[in-house]
Amino acid sequence: MIDKAKGKRQRAKVLKVKGTLLPFAFCLLTYSITSAQWHGYKTPGIPRLPDGSPNLSAPAPKTTDGKPDLSGIWQASRAVFDLAQAVKKGETVPFSAEGKRIFSERRATQSKDDPSARCLPTGLPVRALLRTPFKIIQTPPVMAILYESRTTFRQILTDGRPLPEVDWPAWNGFSVGRWQGDTFVAETAGFNGKPWLDQAGYPASNALKITERFRRRDFGHMDMEMVIDDRTMYTKPWSIFGEFILQADTELIEFICEENEKDSALLLGK
Amino acid sequence: MKRFSVVGALCVALAPAAVSAHHSFAAQYDATKQVTLQGTITKVEWMNPHAYFYIDVADESGKVVNWAVEGGAPNVLYREGWKPTSLKAGDRVTILGSRARDGSNLVNALSFKLPDGRCVFAGTSGPGGTGTPNCTVGRR
Repeated sequence: MIDKAKGKRQRAKVLKVKGTLLPFAFCLLTYSITSAQWHGYKTPGIPRLPDGSPNLSAPAPKTTDGKPDLSGIWQASRAVFDLAQAVKKGETVPFSAEGKRIFSERRATQSKDDPSARCLPTGLPVRALLRTPFKIIQTPPVMAILYESRTTFRQILTDGRPLPEVDWPAWNGFSVGRWQGDTFVAETAGFNGKPWLDQAGYPASNALKITERFRRRDFGHMDMEMVIDDRTMYTKPWSIFGEFILQADTELIEFICEENEKDSALLLGK
Repeated sequence: MKRFSVVGALCVALAPAAVSAHHSFAAQYDATKQVTLQGTITKVEWMNPHAYFYIDVADESGKVVNWAVEGGAPNVLYREGWKPTSLKAGDRVTILGSRARDGSNLVNALSFKLPDGRCVFAGTSGPGGTGTPNCTVGRR
């Protein structure tokens, strides 16, 4: 009897402890589930296949005004550091004499003077084709592009304004956009001539104009043509092409390039 | 070493031809001068634009030298399955890397090989970014 009574007291004690700990444990579990989901959290609003994976072949979404909605996190299907890999097969870059001279110098020194190696902004062409994603946020007056690389951004204004008369050229230039059917066209000018177009060293001057054409084929795929027009460095406009894949269930991650930059002093070039 | 199970799997499936690099590989490293470093991690710098790992390596005479090892961008490594704590001080690793052109004790890592033989993709943008002959798990 004494043992039975003691056993009852012990079981009661265990139950009491369980009663105290279980909600606590549940809270911990819930916290760990909800707090560990930044990269990996299931993005709401994405069409999914029966197994829960994103249906990247579903139709492209539309905004309330019937235009394709380009919003989402995207990444190039193939990383490119040399724009020669992004031109149409068989085509070559139409250098001017000045462009060829600068490009040859940069190749001879293995791109050691690339401003990007000092954490300054990359050119728009190569930035589109990196192995880090970018996020498009589409609203009526602006198409915002947030690049994970270097935690940089661009605004493509869609409020009807023309390209500005620029009195202070910029690394990213100034962008305006419009729709041509289901294709979004962004025009950018007002560059300061400082960024290289890519890591190989394709040059650009402040005469550079870039026209981007984005077409979202379906939910998970978007095509881009980027026309590079800089009559100082090239004899005629030329195009690079890229395909972007929607990155589901992830988010942009902070990227502070200056935090641990220790290579630029060691770039010997040969 | 269980923590590398995901990374190891991703090594096979996802190792890209080139990953994020904030500078030209060839301007700093010589892909023809590869070296294998076997030793103990002393420090990890999980910061952009490149993760850095420091490793104590004993030479043939027993003298210990500390080497710096440059990896890929943490953002890219993270998306490939790495965590900031995947490698930490005290871990023993074998690293295959390309030596710096300035001749210092600095390499750009092609792969990290664990004591159990598994290989971990290192995120280099240089030649061998898809894996290396000495790192069979990391090969595509």
